[in-house]
Amino acid sequence: MSSLLSINNLTVAVGSKALVDQVSFDVPEGKIVAIAGGSGSGKTTIGLSILRLLPSALNIKQGSIVFEGQDLLQLSSESMRQQRGAHIGMVFQEPLSAFDPLFTIGQQIDEVLAAHTELSVQERYKKVLDILVEVELPDPERAHGSYPHQLSGGMRQRAMVALAYVCGPSLIIADEPTSSLDVTLQVKIMELLIRLKKKNVSILLIAHDLGMISHIADEVIILNQGHVVEKGPVAQVIGDPRHEYTKELVGAFQ
Amino acid sequence: MKRNNSRTALAFASFRRNRIGMLAFWVLVIFYGLAIFADFISPYSYKDEDRNFSYCPPTSVEFVDHGQWGHPFVYGRALTFDTMHRRVYVIDQTQKYPLHFLKNGRLFTVDTPGRFYLWGADARGRDLFSRIWYGARISLSIGLLGVAISFILGLLIGGIAGYYGGWVDSVLMRLCEMFMMIPGFYLMLALRAAVPENFNSVQVYVSVVVILALIGWASLARIIRGMALSLRERDFVLVAKTLGVPDIVIIAKHILPQTISFSCPILMLTVSSYILAEAGLSVVGLGIQDPIPSWGNLLSDAMGIVPVIFAPWILLPGLFIFIAVMCFNVVGDSLRDAFDPMFSKDGAV
Repeated sequence: MSSLLSINNLTVAVGSKALVDQVSFDVPEGKIVAIAGGSGSGKTTIGLSILRLLPSALNIKQGSIVFEGQDLLQLSSESMRQQRGAHIGMVFQEPLSAFDPLFTIGQQIDEVLAAHTELSVQERYKKVLDILVEVELPDPERAHGSYPHQLSGGMRQRAMVALAYVCGPSLIIADEPTSSLDVTLQVKIMELLIRLKKKNVSILLIAHDLGMISHIADEVIILNQGHVVEKGPVAQVIGDPRHEYTKELVGAFQ
Repeated sequence: MKRNNSRTALAFASFRRNRIGMLAFWVLVIFYGLAIFADFISPYSYKDEDRNFSYCPPTSVEFVDHGQWGHPFVYGRALTFDTMHRRVYVIDQTQKYPLHFLKNGRLFTVDTPGRFYLWGADARGRDLFSRIWYGARISLSIGLLGVAISFILGLLIGGIAGYYGGWVDSVLMRLCEMFMMIPGFYLMLALRAAVPENFNSVQVYVSVVVILALIGWASLARIIRGMALSLRERDFVLVAKTLGVPDIVIIAKHILPQTISFSCPILMLTVSSYILAEAGLSVVGLGIQDPIPSWGNLLSDAMGIVPVIFAPWILLPGLFIFIAVMCFNVVGDSLRDAFDPMFSKDGAV
């Protein structure tokens, strides 16, 4: 089975109103799959459902989320915690608020390692520096000891990727990872995601920027008001949109 | 690498620039230092009594003997009674007792039968100066220990209630309210009544600490819970969750440290209220028991009008309670200002 993550008939509702309705898609190993759609289409809700971290008002009504052969919705809360960070990482849109202002970048990456591994303090320190080198942060030693506000936006987003990637997860959910960055930095972060993909990490990219999606994603799912309206290889969906909403989206982008 | 720019470091730097705050801080440091070295600085043990010197007034140190400066000494005293049968201590210039320094492991002392009462004696002829510093050990440590326990309880329970919310929150907050609905002093008396009367001094000390801790944690827990409710919605808490950081680590590392600007000043203010509470318990005879001194039970000697009129120095422990409480309040206030970015004089945040 080449699907790393397989979502079947996922329905998420607040009260009786479905925010995500009967959504099914697969994320194959080593591929970048993008979810695109307007605001409120349920993109982020799907991302948080995979980690089972939905706000308490939202409930998963039905469906299954099969990751590495097991249904995440059936796991105990402790084994779910062990999945998070270690097997599934998440990158957020706004890296400044994603870091705790009271701790250094190094301390926060170290915390993830401490939660999932038995490594000693020295081994963790070395590993954190390695990961900071790997995401191409200039001067990793300094970044290790810096507080979040001392880094630039691009550096913070790299540190954010390091945070999600440090335990070597097989899936990274990237929720609008470039939206808060300027265009040149967006390209750099996209290149970083492509490098991760080459290391056989699957990426579920949540984005509204079709340009970025057509640049790096292999497959795309177009979501409108909680429904999948179109899915398939990027070239096919964006190059030759069939559904009205997709056409509208592509038209708006051009 | 510039590391000293965390919020806490900035706040303490601002605190160090506050002269009154620093003065209060150093007064407290001196008090605690003297309490720790009470064995050394006081001339007598706290239970060393001489009934011939009941309510003996403060002894003055003499330097001039027959018109010549020399080694400091004290005159002896003879007990007489006036026409009203009141004690009058007459200075007996024929008896001289030189002051010995660093003798028998004490900073200063005189040979028996001379007695040296720097700040006077109590009803049983015990040295008030010595008893104040031995009492400081009890009074100053009880506040700190009580606060340490109630802060651990308050932070943990408030943090857990706010972070999890839901029924956990409801149960814990109802528990808090049960403690808060009883007026503090009556709760203290009730808890003290529940302690067996045949406890030894250490057990009484521990039970007073526990009683103090139990009356203070609830209000702190409620405020921390409110802050945790808002902090758990912050992005970095969600990020920590997505990375599989255990809940208790998130509470301890990402929720509670954010409340430091509130909890650090409150900690100081609570210490002062606990020192007062211990004094209150001991004044009414429910706290630390004689002969072990605490500032509270030393002050209970001053409950009658007669001793206060004829031996006003036995009010001195009250002055020390006042100074210690005020210093803790000033330090607490200064810390609150230091943590408040709107309050910094130079506008640096």
